[in-house]
Amino acid sequence: MALALEMKGITKYFSSTDVQANDNVNLTVEAGEVLALVGENGAGKTTLMNILYGLIKPDSGEIFINGEKVQIGHPDDAIKNGIGMVHQHFKLVPSFTVAQNIILGMEPNKAGFLSPKEENKVVKELADKFNLPVDPKAQIRDLPVGMQQRVEILKVLLREAKILILDEPTAVLTPQEVKELMDVVRQLAKMGYSVIFITHKLIEVMEVADKVSVMRAGKNVGNKKVSDTNIPDLARMMVGREVLLRVKKDTIQRGKPVFEAKDVSVSDVHGLAAISHVSFNVHEGEIVGLAGVSGNGQTELVEVISGMRPLDGGNLYLNEQDITQANVRDRRNAGVAHIPEDRMEVGLNLQTNLDENLIISRYNQSEFSKFGFLLGKSISRFAETVVKSFSIAAAKPGEDISMLSGGNLQKVVVGRELSGQPSFIIANQPTRGLDVGSIEFVHKTLIEERDRGAGVLLVSVELEEIMALADRILVLFRGQIQGELDAKTATEEEVGILMAGGKLSDLQTNQAKSGKESK
Amino acid sequence: MTGFFSVFTVELLNSGIRLATPVILAALGGALCNKAGVLNLALESMMLMGAFVGIVSAYFVGNSYIGLLIAMASGGLLGLVFAFLYHKYDVDLVILAIAFNLIIQELTVYVMRVMFGNVGSWSDPSINRIPDIEIPLIKDIPVLGNILSGYNIIVYFSWAVTIVMYLVLYKMKFGRHIRAVGENREAAETVGINAVRIQTMALIISGVLSALGGAFLSIGHLKLFTRNMSNGRGWTAVAAALFGANHPIGTALASLFFGLTEAFAVRIQNVTDLPPNLVELLPNFATLIVLIFIALREKLRENNARRRFRAELRAEEQQKAAS
Repeated sequence: MALALEMKGITKYFSSTDVQANDNVNLTVEAGEVLALVGENGAGKTTLMNILYGLIKPDSGEIFINGEKVQIGHPDDAIKNGIGMVHQHFKLVPSFTVAQNIILGMEPNKAGFLSPKEENKVVKELADKFNLPVDPKAQIRDLPVGMQQRVEILKVLLREAKILILDEPTAVLTPQEVKELMDVVRQLAKMGYSVIFITHKLIEVMEVADKVSVMRAGKNVGNKKVSDTNIPDLARMMVGREVLLRVKKDTIQRGKPVFEAKDVSVSDVHGLAAISHVSFNVHEGEIVGLAGVSGNGQTELVEVISGMRPLDGGNLYLNEQDITQANVRDRRNAGVAHIPEDRMEVGLNLQTNLDENLIISRYNQSEFSKFGFLLGKSISRFAETVVKSFSIAAAKPGEDISMLSGGNLQKVVVGRELSGQPSFIIANQPTRGLDVGSIEFVHKTLIEERDRGAGVLLVSVELEEIMALADRILVLFRGQIQGELDAKTATEEEVGILMAGGKLSDLQTNQAKSGKESK
Repeated sequence: MTGFFSVFTVELLNSGIRLATPVILAALGGALCNKAGVLNLALESMMLMGAFVGIVSAYFVGNSYIGLLIAMASGGLLGLVFAFLYHKYDVDLVILAIAFNLIIQELTVYVMRVMFGNVGSWSDPSINRIPDIEIPLIKDIPVLGNILSGYNIIVYFSWAVTIVMYLVLYKMKFGRHIRAVGENREAAETVGINAVRIQTMALIISGVLSALGGAFLSIGHLKLFTRNMSNGRGWTAVAAALFGANHPIGTALASLFFGLTEAFAVRIQNVTDLPPNLVELLPNFATLIVLIFIALREKLRENNARRRFRAELRAEEQQKAAS
């Protein structure tokens, strides 16, 4: 049987950044097969897929669809050849309905006039055919991310794609939505579709894929059947060395409370509660993991704690001092560090150099400025120490940071925030979008800070991350603390049910039920 | 006081509608560009171009209707050049608009002086003003007939454009593609919609409409060209599009509001002792208020929401304390 897709000897060199993005890469997919494409950020996965989708022209290499050689110079060619791509950042129009988005560009019409009825019917039929229920009349902006992704998949299917490229499809999904997506992918494969699943979460590879291709530094370093490999093996291929998938953590005695939130309430822009009556504390030498599906008030809570957003009710205490009314600078001076969730927009200023980014939170200290003038020498000396102690190999004092990879940018943020020996650290999604190596670094650093005696509030939508790092787990659901668990005894299932808004007692009754059934 | 209230007449509405017409046309063009995701702050220059080209070609051709058509073509050309510079050379939209506004303002004066040797303004007795038309049947309706009938073709055309633009944007495939490009250009492009073409067309149409609005000033309302004849109406149109949330109907109503304010300012000069210079400022003042309102609209809404939320929290606490 001919292969559904074969890419042969794909090579691409970017002269502007001097990067060999793809170096003689080969890749094959059969019909009805799920291929996982894994690799760290910058390994060349995205370049390879953009070449397949006609967004980038390769320097050399050939592409065969069903055994026939094709030229793909434009996304239109890709679509004609039955290739569809679901991008990591969805390409949807927020004010349009589901049907309007799916059918965009190929609307049935009479003399240019649209027929909403006809559109909804077409979309309904499509959704039924693939067993992917959607409400054709719902507006995209009202839908959860998982549903938006389903719209993207339907959009591709309507254009009769036979080969689907999913670019890091699980990065934005909740655990429940991930499970649903996996089912969809398996079902599409069963129907004879080929799926290329780009990811760097190896657990997903094992779960969903038939075959896996590993990329490292632009090269294809391994093509294996999933049944012939395992996670440590794949991680080694990806990074090129042994990786600690779960950082080592000793139990230590926690100290006195360093931060406390008491009955905190915050409204969103519509005057509805984003956070209501939340109380918790963080002790010295403790990592408190704040788990929860994204959009349940994490952003608002972190903004309130860091001082970027006023709260509407309740109080905040740092080392028993009331900091409810303190501004960001006062809080920072009192020992709060904040690793924000968006390093590109909030965490760093990409327009300026490393030095200025590192002193942005302390430029007015006498060490770095006198009479309003910055002291260049002591600033670059400081930058050098930070670069050294956080091993930000790619960054050089005095140079721009805009070209650094995500992992190195995050190291700059972490280096700045943690170099002042803070007593309380807010880490909001500190490893989002990072590769395995960088995740390992961030995790290790946070645990070192804890061991030093800092209190850490780790906000993450990654259940694995919470399980790996936290000493105590709080679950946020619709702006309230749904439950608290001791990390030593908590199971992923327990956290999962709290994240979905359930209660632990539900879990017990479920288990009792399934226990009976198995008898 | 009867003297003051005597300005509220059907004639006030008539002149308000007339004064609103150039703003409606330009504002619809601006709203269309906003919908297509390409900011057009060069409406002022497109309008001024239309005013000048309209009267000059009416003079040379000897027919004012053909003058209108040539004016529209000149505005469309300006829109095309604008789109070309933006898409081909990636010039910043604001800088491009400033350049256009400055160049056209000076260019019209320069050409006027070269051709007619005059300084401030120019006219010729041979030029005919676009005639007013009474609509049969409608003109006989009491009161309403006087409000809806008796204007020249440009006024009626501006109403038609409002409705057509509404239908195109919300009922037709082309309009949906325009809105898709404006809201998420990448989403449109990945399904094969040509965003550059759509934005170019929006800019051309806005040029055509603004220029027609300009020609209304020089050969529809008066029959004369003066330097900087558009006198900020292009900027008022930008504000009207914002005020009307870029919806054709809303934009037209916002423009009508500005037209009525202007007509009111003209008329009130006769019945008050306020210095005329101050009264003439009234429309500008209205624009300023509207712009401040637009800028604060979102902020005010959020503040109110927050105040409500805090009140609810306090009520909750009091209830708890009481029980």
